[in-house]
Amino acid sequence: MTEPLLRVRDLQTYFVTEHGSGTARAVDGVSFEVQPGETLGIVGESGCGKTVTSLSILRLIPEPPGHIRPGSFIEFEGRNLLTLEPRELRAIRGNQIAMIFQEPMTSLNPVFTVGDQIAEAAIVHQHLSRRAARTRAIEMLQLVGIPDPEERVDHYPHQMSGGMRQRVMIAMALVCHPKLLIADEPTTALDVTIQAQILELLDRLQAELGMAVMLITHDLGVVAGTADRVVVMYAGQVVEQAPTAPLFARPLHPYTEGLLASVPRLDAAPASARGRLHSIPGQVPAATAWPDGCRFHPRCPYVWDRCRREEPPLLDAGGGEPGTHTVRCWLLTEPGRRTPRP
Amino acid sequence: MSLWNWLALGGAAVVALAAVAQIRRRVTAAAAGRRFFRHPTAAAGLFVLAFVVSLALAAPLVAPYRPFVQIDITRLANHAPSAQFVLGTDPYARDVWSRLVFGARISLGIGAIAMLVAVTIGAGVGAVAGYFRRWVDMTVMRLVDVGLAMPRIFVMLMAVALWEHIALPVLVLLIGLTGWFGTSRLVRAEVLSLREREFVAAARALGAGPGRVIFRHVLPNVAAPIIVSAALGIGNVMLLEAGLSFLGMGVPSPAPSWGNMIADGWPKMAVAPWAATFPGLAISLVVMALNAVGDALRDALDPRKETL
Repeated sequence: MTEPLLRVRDLQTYFVTEHGSGTARAVDGVSFEVQPGETLGIVGESGCGKTVTSLSILRLIPEPPGHIRPGSFIEFEGRNLLTLEPRELRAIRGNQIAMIFQEPMTSLNPVFTVGDQIAEAAIVHQHLSRRAARTRAIEMLQLVGIPDPEERVDHYPHQMSGGMRQRVMIAMALVCHPKLLIADEPTTALDVTIQAQILELLDRLQAELGMAVMLITHDLGVVAGTADRVVVMYAGQVVEQAPTAPLFARPLHPYTEGLLASVPRLDAAPASARGRLHSIPGQVPAATAWPDGCRFHPRCPYVWDRCRREEPPLLDAGGGEPGTHTVRCWLLTEPGRRTPRP
Repeated sequence: MSLWNWLALGGAAVVALAAVAQIRRRVTAAAAGRRFFRHPTAAAGLFVLAFVVSLALAAPLVAPYRPFVQIDITRLANHAPSAQFVLGTDPYARDVWSRLVFGARISLGIGAIAMLVAVTIGAGVGAVAGYFRRWVDMTVMRLVDVGLAMPRIFVMLMAVALWEHIALPVLVLLIGLTGWFGTSRLVRAEVLSLREREFVAAARALGAGPGRVIFRHVLPNVAAPIIVSAALGIGNVMLLEAGLSFLGMGVPSPAPSWGNMIADGWPKMAVAPWAATFPGLAISLVVMALNAVGDALRDALDPRKETL
């Protein structure tokens, strides 16, 4: 394996709640790596810590109430981002690591033209002149497939559709050719056809620019089509981590299994009787009070005593080098218990 | 008043009308512009302001006399309005109309510059407090509370008592420095809500520092309330200046300001009511016009009224 571009180790991001009544452990000991040039999908339900993880990497967590606990470690090209000075950090943001946000409607500043906004990163990081930055903005608009870029560069965000704005967001993020692009639910606010276009665009740009992409989503379909590897998160932890193909073929964590079973399929009959779509019973517990033992045990169909008492570590599931496929589940020690339950 | 003066006066009115028409043509393309002119008194207010400003600019043409010339102190003091002195003369035998026109320069100038100072400081302080929150916000806003709690006129009187004779620029600065508290509260409140918007996070993710985020990304979004508060604030400043001058502590007397004209004419109110009445009317007219325009701006710039 080559040296990873980004290495997150034991990341803990906690939020102190309003009345001091408790601490929300939104991200609680997350570790993963991103290799140069690869696409890593991060999947999970709402509230499992995906977005907090991505914001922690750029240290955009609002403090207070949030804080990244000491002992966490986020290394980008060998430098620990958590100990950088604000100035050094700003030199990385938007330049080496860029981010695309979920809502293209609100992530653009309504009072500036899209050209100004795209040019900004180039002015901040590469000290381009206004004129050069404008030319650059036009190039970027062309790159992300917006027609008439010379004209569009002077438009305001409200003059554009949702899909175009997301393209503008991507153009903004890619102006400085970052090595890592964090895309936080980039397609959630868009309708399905535009989603496909945006994902295709991201794919194409990744190939052209050779950057790594961290794709955060709750949509397994999106991950299946684009990611090389997948990290599944639940309750602030990584519960399964594997290359995409084996994960979809042989999900080992009951949560991953449940997620995959809940995706509607065109090519197979519904798994359960009466043609109903599968759903995982229950809800994600509150981040202020994770369950004891395995955090998934209240919703798990295979649960037994040990799951309620002891928290499982990430166990190796084999299938290549150690660490290729890891699962946080006691089932790996007792595979016999994996029996479908009524 | 000669024919030339009357012609210049008419010219000023024409210029003002043309300016209003021009502005109207320019802005009605936008929905906000149409909303502005839909306000019943907006166009009238704008015209009054344009007219007074053009009079002030063309003062030497419109005024038949120099503002501080005592024409004939023995025979022409307290002269009633006539063809020669359209608004009469004051107790010092100076032409009220000429003083009114030249006084517009000083009164409007003080209003505009002091407001500019106040709005600049208020917007800066409010934005910084709202953006950084925590102890910065606490400290700054408590100071603002103190500032708002002090009656402005007393602060000014204290300053006058300390230095006896205040130069005009210092006076303007002083008015500006005591007038930013309201604006800073307004801006802080807006910034508190804007800083949570996603485009602020996006700007930070782009590598923009706090200064850039505050002044390039957040403040331009507060432009509308700032403009409105500035328009309404100019009227206040003019009233304050008039009050100070009336108390004999504002603009020193030979130079005309609308406030000290009232002060000069006031003792002879029974004999020559015109000397104090006309500057008083001028002040009320301009302040009303400013309020009308400010009000219309508030309606026009309110994004909630945005319709397709």
